[in-house]
Amino acid sequence: MESLTRRSFIAGLALAGLSCAAVPAFAEGAARIGQPAPAFQAVDAEGRTRSLSEFAGRTVVLEWTNHECPYVRKHYNSATMQTLQKDMAKDGIVWLSVISSPPGEQGYVEGPKARELTAQRDAAPADILLDPDSKVARAYGAQTTPHMYIIDPRGTLAYMGAIDDKPSSNPASLVGAKSYVRQAIAEMKAGKPVSQASTKSYGCAVKYAPAS
Amino acid sequence: MIRHASGTMMRQRDRREGRKGGAARRLLGGALLALGLALPGVALAAESAPVTSPRVTATLLSGRDTVAPGERFHVALVQKLAPHWHTYWLNPGDSGEPTQIHWTLPEGAKAGGIAWPAPRAIRVDPLVNFGFEGQVLLPVEITVPAEARPGETFSLKAEATWLVCEKICIPEDGSFTLDLPVGQAGVTDETAQQRIDAALAALPQPADFRGRLAADGDRLALALPGLPAGASDLRFFPVSDTLIEHAADQPAKPGDGPGVILTRSSAFKLDQPEISGVLTFSQGGEARALTLVADADPALVGKAAEAGAPASAPPAVRIPVPAEGADLSWLAALAFAFAGGLILNLMPCVLPVLFIKALGFAQTAHRSRAETREQGLLFLCGVLLTFLLLAGAVIALGALGSSVGWGFQLQSPPLVIALAVVMVLIGLNLIGAFEIGGAVVGVGDGLASRGGRLGAFMTGVLAVVVATPCTAPFMGAAMGYAVTQPPAVALSVFMALALGFALPVVALSFAPGLLRLLPKPGRWMLVLKQAFAFPMFATAIWLIWVASVQTGPQGVLAALAAVLAAGFVVWLVGVTRGGLARRAFGTVLAALVALGAGWFTIENAVPGADTQARAGDVQAWSPERVAALQAEGKPVFVNFTAAWCITCLANERVALSRQEVKEAFAELGVSYLKADWTNRDQRIARALAEQGRAGVPLYLFYPGRRDGQAEILPQLLTPDMVIAAARRAAGRDAKTAANAP
Repeated sequence: MESLTRRSFIAGLALAGLSCAAVPAFAEGAARIGQPAPAFQAVDAEGRTRSLSEFAGRTVVLEWTNHECPYVRKHYNSATMQTLQKDMAKDGIVWLSVISSPPGEQGYVEGPKARELTAQRDAAPADILLDPDSKVARAYGAQTTPHMYIIDPRGTLAYMGAIDDKPSSNPASLVGAKSYVRQAIAEMKAGKPVSQASTKSYGCAVKYAPAS
Repeated sequence: MIRHASGTMMRQRDRREGRKGGAARRLLGGALLALGLALPGVALAAESAPVTSPRVTATLLSGRDTVAPGERFHVALVQKLAPHWHTYWLNPGDSGEPTQIHWTLPEGAKAGGIAWPAPRAIRVDPLVNFGFEGQVLLPVEITVPAEARPGETFSLKAEATWLVCEKICIPEDGSFTLDLPVGQAGVTDETAQQRIDAALAALPQPADFRGRLAADGDRLALALPGLPAGASDLRFFPVSDTLIEHAADQPAKPGDGPGVILTRSSAFKLDQPEISGVLTFSQGGEARALTLVADADPALVGKAAEAGAPASAPPAVRIPVPAEGADLSWLAALAFAFAGGLILNLMPCVLPVLFIKALGFAQTAHRSRAETREQGLLFLCGVLLTFLLLAGAVIALGALGSSVGWGFQLQSPPLVIALAVVMVLIGLNLIGAFEIGGAVVGVGDGLASRGGRLGAFMTGVLAVVVATPCTAPFMGAAMGYAVTQPPAVALSVFMALALGFALPVVALSFAPGLLRLLPKPGRWMLVLKQAFAFPMFATAIWLIWVASVQTGPQGVLAALAAVLAAGFVVWLVGVTRGGLARRAFGTVLAALVALGAGWFTIENAVPGADTQARAGDVQAWSPERVAALQAEGKPVFVNFTAAWCITCLANERVALSRQEVKEAFAELGVSYLKADWTNRDQRIARALAEQGRAGVPLYLFYPGRRDGQAEILPQLLTPDMVIAAARRAAGRDAKTAANAP
């Protein structure tokens, strides 16, 4: 309790100090459709440093995740997320799961646990990026878990937003849900513009590390 | 007046009481109604019992104790929130989900939408949520139909779901019922009405001016021409979640007239020429709120925020999502279902039925191979059709919002007893106590070579019916997958299960080579047939025990009476053969006895007994209990089981009740909770669905830290497996070191 109060106090101070500067910076630093996707570097679950530039020439999907969030669990417990990951992998798409929770917050994991979660859930991301200082999340303006981004082979942001059109944690909502990610990928493959390039994401809030 | 509310666990008990105490309740309702009419104005607190979690205490509050035909009145869903926790407004902001209420009302009655109070901006830096802290009332207007008659009961049922978050989020739900008497005139509940009136008075009032929304460079300017003088601390909460960046500051609009500058949402989308929302501000130190409609500059309408997204182009062609290649996890589900179906053949209640069928083939094979094949195919038809019906029922009930799963039909005591009777009859037939005549359906009578067509088909039906108590390994995952999928996919999984189930018998009917391995038909077949009567009797005993758990002593009486009546009827039909008059007499008497016994069974087989097992240190399960124990730092083991689930019982015998497991639990401080699904229970059904399961068994191990996620154990347990999981949950395993700071 005491530490919580102290933490909110410090967060409050930081917020007060940065009030005008920080908030617009967050909003404007966010990724934009049709613009180059923000570059990033992050350590993966194996301890390797990965960067967006290595995947130039390939389509990249970013999935913000927190394995304890009920909305994320809806997609994993039903195997919907794993199926999507595997289908994307078959198309040669690079799927990166991003975990932005800092230590002490829900969803925070270290490499071994991240790998264990992947094995346990039979998930198939190309890699898992650990972002405990929430830098990648800030660069993209990620708000929720799940929050999805698609970057085309030229490095341009092609889609950002929800995974599907059913903003609910109820597994029954998966029935008949329209996957915005599948739709965007299908349109990109057909050489068409993405018809719904930006949607409102839904889910649990991304647990941000205090701004440094 | 009767009122109750329930978290979903309580609901089951309410229903049981409801069935038994219907008459008493009506009487009591009538007496209270009379009292209410005699003493108008007597205020009875019209508030349902609370649904509670460590985070939220929720009730349904009514402004009326007695309602009048045709009148409108308000009820309110009240949420009292623990400090730091919040629920959500219509537009939840950057994350979250609004509270929703689904009403079940008497015919002709209407419920309006939630009259949303003004939200607060709750910062979770750098994000923001729009919602409520402390206590919130969500008022809803109810219209009583003009056709309602005084003396009737006006029953309101609300199924509410809400997401409650601190930093972490928990989806919760509750079921609330208010049974209000209908009178000539309505009777107001003063205390409740005052609370509701206060909430209604605090609702945002419609602004007496319209706003104007226009582009301001990259941002948006919202002009508020009629804003009251002296208003400060303005904040606009749009209903649409794709209009503005919720977390961005809203500085005052420079230039002429009051207004605010809004930052466009990265998902900006505006399809309508006007926007709506709530404007909050303070005026003279008082917080005020207005509902605001603003006209949008036509240049903004149909625009998306991004240059690269041609959303203003002609309506985008809706490209169907292609089914690209094979869906691996669908295939996996099919494979699991098929394997599960195969294994079902070995279950003790199914095996005798199928073995007798196989022996039947052995006898007919030497005569006609075609006939044997036909029998196999008819059996297959029976199996497929029954599975199709079952799948249809599960899917249809699921679509209606009922949480049902595999084996749900065994939650009905009359059906359990009917199955027990079928088992006894099959047993009697096997042992030779009676022969089944050509006119009577030859269920399970594989040895009858003639008239066996319907028999073969019915064997398929029967085999599926007797298999439903059993969940085979691999089946749980497949069924859990099936119920979350569209009907076509769900059906395919059920069909894979059916094919796996039917395969051994069908294969046997097509492979006379296999049949030749059997000894020649002879006396041994008769002995074996008689021997197989005993597993059937054993199954009947087990089913009657299930009925006793569901209903108590009355159910045992009903079941045994049903067995007696069935035996009597079979005997009667046997002895009254020959002679038309005798036959008619026998048939009529048999029908009377059957009807009487059926009525007696249904009357008495009412779910009643408390089914929660409380032996030893096993506690009844509830999500709150799990959370509370976790908060105390205790690892929690949850056993989702049912008396009719034989796999569950087997696991309890071979693993859970073993001494070494008990000792390990004691040493590690594990709390053992049992969720008993013997009777229907929405809350358990939902918990199963959350883990992607449609039925029991399910074993979960929660670590002893707040909100730690459960590990799912396999459906077949060994003591070592359980102990290892217990060690992991207790943090005695290096691999899962707690990551809390």
